[in-house]
Amino acid sequence: MADITVAEPFPIFAVANKYILYDINTVTYIRRVHHICGVLIGNIPQAAQQNVFSGIPLELIPEEARLLVERGSAYIVDDVASHRRGLTDLSAAERIAFVSVLEKQGLEAALAQKRKADKKREKHFEKAGGKARKRGPDREDTELESASASYAVSRAASVVPNDSDVQPLCITPTTSYPPLSAPKPTTALLPPASPSYDLFAHLHSKDYFLSPGLRFGCQYLAYPGDPLRFHSHFLANGVAWDQEISLLNIVAGGRLGTGVKKGYLVGGKDDSRDEVRVFCFEWAAM
Amino acid sequence: MALASDVPTPSALESTLRAQSQTRTLHDVRLHHLALQVLHNLQHQHRWTRLTTHTFSPLTGAPLPRPLISGLPPARLYVHPDEQIELLKVEAERKRKGEEDRADGGGKEDVFGAPEREWVLPTHLMEKWSLRQFAEVFDAITVAPLDEEAGEGRELKGNKWRTTKRVVMATVQDDSTVVYYLVHNGIVKPRQN
Repeated sequence: MADITVAEPFPIFAVANKYILYDINTVTYIRRVHHICGVLIGNIPQAAQQNVFSGIPLELIPEEARLLVERGSAYIVDDVASHRRGLTDLSAAERIAFVSVLEKQGLEAALAQKRKADKKREKHFEKAGGKARKRGPDREDTELESASASYAVSRAASVVPNDSDVQPLCITPTTSYPPLSAPKPTTALLPPASPSYDLFAHLHSKDYFLSPGLRFGCQYLAYPGDPLRFHSHFLANGVAWDQEISLLNIVAGGRLGTGVKKGYLVGGKDDSRDEVRVFCFEWAAM
Repeated sequence: MALASDVPTPSALESTLRAQSQTRTLHDVRLHHLALQVLHNLQHQHRWTRLTTHTFSPLTGAPLPRPLISGLPPARLYVHPDEQIELLKVEAERKRKGEEDRADGGGKEDVFGAPEREWVLPTHLMEKWSLRQFAEVFDAITVAPLDEEAGEGRELKGNKWRTTKRVVMATVQDDSTVVYYLVHNGIVKPRQN
């Protein structure tokens, strides 16, 4: 597969405190270049059997979005505000142009639909005619059959699609850009840093791929490479430097981690020395 | 009196604690007793040898945050996954050669080599720890404890794979259950058991 490159900074759309990417190129690009996988959340509610694998959009956790913004690779777009602003700011000419584009699309869709229906009908008549001809003359209803067949053939021939009386379909636009023009990059919006963000950034800087860790009762799962190729190494939990950790939690985490062949990792930032320190716990088997 | 004779004789642990109890200790006497209890457990339940308690940091000479124990387990307690791969390769090679000349007999020595001394950190389950406390412990210890009985020179020819500090965290419950967890200072990939 060709390496897809996306112009940076690219927009990350914030909707209701969720950070969403809609463009498949951006999704593959950040996975390859920035080691950020996110979670694909798109599915088809009316075809549940097809939901084994989810598709776009991709939801980023706030830490991932923040990391991309801090790297200067992305910027946050407040999607609701930019829609409201973009739609009210649309000039009359732009509005008319957009509506006419929609109408054109609707007409094309209606024509395509009509052609398809005509083709289907034609095919059906041809089939019916052919069937009638194949039957031998010894049949009792030969005359009737051949009469109806010839009628079908003549009728099929007479159907000529008349495009002028087609009503355009009403199109619901599936993209916002266009009609809106892409918002300008801004550094004004930065996803909030959770207390575990320092650990997230530290592990990410050590080339670990991080994914949400709820399935293993932790904050992040740390993979030594792409999650499609590797098992995760660590169940990671970020804590503040002086935050109290119950030893029962460490024993529980260490035991769970060892049970699934992973290390239980706890880390956080020592603000006085501005460094992140992590500790790994493993059952000592004794 | 009849009541006095009803008092059960002290347990082995209780006698140990009484015998070794000091009126003046550097650390809180409860931490001192905790170390003694873990040491007792290591010695008698897990057959560790050459057990020593440490109250001063071997690095800085300053008092440790709490008494630590060093000792020698009966078998290798920890093998880094990369070292394990190498040792297994060597073992496979040795076996292959052994097949060729069986006259040798082939020693039954442990694939994972001789046991290594470990640091032990005694804790109680009811305690709350923080990253700062773990950092203080690791900043005060060496990569491997010095073996006083074997002499200073022994430390030098240590395992080349042992590059990260680690302690065995012993957690004591009120019912005297002790669990042991290895704590590594830094990102150390897990063993694949």
